[in-house]
Amino acid sequence: MVHLSSFLLKKYHSGYVVIRLAMAGHKQANRPFYRIVAAYNKRSRDGKYIEQLGTFDPLPNIYNEKLVSFNFDRIKYWIGCGAHPTKPVAKLLGLSGFFPLHPMTVTEAERRRAQAKLAETTAGTEDSQEEENRAGV
Amino acid sequence: MFRVISGRSVQAARLLAPRNAVLVEAVRGRKSRTDPVAKSKVGRIKVPPPVDPVEMLVLKERYSEYELIMRALRLEFKEEVLRKKYEEETGSQAEERARQEEEEHRALINWNDEENLRMLKARILRVQKEEEEAERKKMEAAIQREQQLEESIRLREKEILQLQEEAKNFITLENLDQRIEDALDNPKNYNFAVDKEGKVVKRTVLQ
Repeated sequence: MVHLSSFLLKKYHSGYVVIRLAMAGHKQANRPFYRIVAAYNKRSRDGKYIEQLGTFDPLPNIYNEKLVSFNFDRIKYWIGCGAHPTKPVAKLLGLSGFFPLHPMTVTEAERRRAQAKLAETTAGTEDSQEEENRAGV
Repeated sequence: MFRVISGRSVQAARLLAPRNAVLVEAVRGRKSRTDPVAKSKVGRIKVPPPVDPVEMLVLKERYSEYELIMRALRLEFKEEVLRKKYEEETGSQAEERARQEEEEHRALINWNDEENLRMLKARILRVQKEEEEAERKKMEAAIQREQQLEESIRLREKEILQLQEEAKNFITLENLDQRIEDALDNPKNYNFAVDKEGKVVKRTVLQ
């Protein structure tokens, strides 16, 4: 895989390309905003990248949506050239349908559901206990 | 544990800080290998988060499927990239495009040659005209010079003639006696006036 990527990428670079999230411009603002970016592995997170492939806004908007954008054509090209996506990028792509769903997404969802059910049952038993006490009293 | 930060991002925040305070931020790994453990952490045993074996099994299955699909996708995309590259270089459109480019190139070169010829002709005509102009100017200058020369010669001849004319009335050694006697015989009276119209008035107050 490594030699193939060097064959397709024109400049020789002893490192590999990653597709990752880079924080974009709004410094000191308590307002993160990520760019989905193809960059060399050893570059700093916000440093010079090869190409921007999309955006991700982690804070939900007024309709309670988190907005993501992808340039699927170029993502295909870079994955074909041997780029590796990071975990959050893989998760987002899985949610979008371009990749299969990441196992951790499913596992997290199951865990959360189990937690919610546990909370419900405990609340239910507490209520029923209260009712019994009141009835008993 | 704390690291000093300074820079453009910090200038604004420093306006309210005291003059010689240093701005620090938290950073991991202040302690080196040989530093002793902190008092609050003396009996601490670090324990990894607990793992549910059932969930782990399920997760492993899911991961293996996921990676299988990912590998397949990667190969697909690689193939697509290679195919596109191949098409680009040696595909059906490539020859036509190359031919068209060559035709364009030849047409442009021809046009350039024609332009050069045209410019050449124009330039030759212009240069000829300029040469003729220069010739004409030179001729005119020569004629002018000759005319001036003639003018000056004529002037000088006129002067010489005038001088010759005047020479007849000169007083020479031979005429000296004669002229003295003539002058003494004819006394001239310059005692006259001229009024505004230019008329000579011979009658003066003395007479």
